[in-house]
Amino acid sequence: MPARRFLAPTAVFAAVAMIWWLAGRAGWTNAYLLPAPSAVVAALSDLAVSGILLKHTLISLQRVLLGFALSVALALPLAVLMSASRLARVVLDPLLEFIRQVPPLALIPLLILWLGIGEAQKLGIIVLASFFPVFLGFRGGIAGVDPKLIEVGRVAGLTRREILTRIVLPSALPELVVGLRISLGYSWRALVGAELIASSAGLGYMIIDAENLARTDIVLAGILVIGAIGLLSDLVLRLAVSRAFPWLSADLEATHA
Amino acid sequence: MLELIDASRHYDVAGRAVRALDGVRELFPAGSITTVVGRSGCGKTTLLRLLAGLTEPSSGEVRRAPSHSVGIVFQEARLMPWLDVAANVAFPLKGRLSDVDIAARVDEALTLVGLAEARRALPVQLSGGMAQRVAIARALAQQPDILLLDEPFSALDAFTRRSLQRVLIDIWSARRPTVVLVTHDVEEAVLLSESVVEMEAGRVVGRVTVDLPFPREATDPAVVDHRRSILARLVGGTDPVTQTIHSRRKQ
Repeated sequence: MPARRFLAPTAVFAAVAMIWWLAGRAGWTNAYLLPAPSAVVAALSDLAVSGILLKHTLISLQRVLLGFALSVALALPLAVLMSASRLARVVLDPLLEFIRQVPPLALIPLLILWLGIGEAQKLGIIVLASFFPVFLGFRGGIAGVDPKLIEVGRVAGLTRREILTRIVLPSALPELVVGLRISLGYSWRALVGAELIASSAGLGYMIIDAENLARTDIVLAGILVIGAIGLLSDLVLRLAVSRAFPWLSADLEATHA
Repeated sequence: MLELIDASRHYDVAGRAVRALDGVRELFPAGSITTVVGRSGCGKTTLLRLLAGLTEPSSGEVRRAPSHSVGIVFQEARLMPWLDVAANVAFPLKGRLSDVDIAARVDEALTLVGLAEARRALPVQLSGGMAQRVAIARALAQQPDILLLDEPFSALDAFTRRSLQRVLIDIWSARRPTVVLVTHDVEEAVLLSESVVEMEAGRVVGRVTVDLPFPREATDPAVVDHRRSILARLVGGTDPVTQTIHSRRKQ
């Protein structure tokens, strides 16, 4: 991989930090509302040294991974079922479409009433937020399979089941991967939203707690960590995919989810 | 047994019925090699799709022994993009033969089409001609009872085309599958078949037996004669290009 691919984006981040710092130095911004980068870094290292950051990060990560895994576990079989069965489409499509139109955050009050303020409620929000990209991506991929490839299987005498597992599912993989990437991102956002509203731990809680204590440096530190983890998890997912499915690398480069 | 009995296939194009195939009665004897020639749009591909069981006839019947395996080469390579060359060739055999047997068949087929070196390549890395050769290898590796080919060599350069035409004749001579090859190239039809079926506007308009020994040479006077007479019949007086020239001359 050429160094330029890392250098250029890093330079952009550095430039943003530079402008941020200059704005503080020149007195354009209020140091209380927007602390200098150095203050944020100092807050970050305090949080890291004390172990608070690690604690909240691990809790958030655990929630995201669990919720994301639950979404995927629900979405994959349902997408296959609804692609294969007309009855399932007729029965379930309107309901799913209805749920899809409701922003997960709007359901938080209900989820709190139904599931309490514990882990179940947070998982519920993450699943609601991250289910549809995987589900729709996989369904789209299945629907988009090249009928010409299916004919190859038909002439070779493949059964319906073999056509599904050996042609349809592999060819749906690129769109599924895009769905997974979007879904993972949505999981993060929904989680932080849920933690902001009702939680006693996690990065979202850390931010809202810092706001209550008027510690904008910690708020910004939390935001940086959330963004960095999101960026990193997408990178890990992409690396894992291009390892497992080398023929997908070109598609991955072309799509920016 | 491979036979079309008064087979027709109509398509509905924007409310108008298009007769892609119109009452074709044709028997392809077991172990024979036949080519079907005609202009684009004359129904040759539809005929092949009926024989492959990919399209149902609107009326009439397609008879094929259910036990007979079918291998097909389409006009396009139709490779699975997620499988490498060897796995694509192995695709129809997977689960039907042991892995050892499949590997042997794949090796043999890839060697026949001259792609033994490319076995680990992915389809995106292949040129159009190479991909088409993989598709041919995929059909050959099946060692099918019936081998159907739809313009299989038209995407290839002249040298490769000639050598693969020879491979096809060798394989047919050795294993005697029933071969039906569709082409618009009359010379190819004469080189590669015992009989040539001529099609026009969804109908069979002629059947010529080419009684010459294989392998044949394009420069052989007997081949040239056959080619000329088939062309004359197919092009005839209805050729729009010639007609235009004639009418211009009159002016």
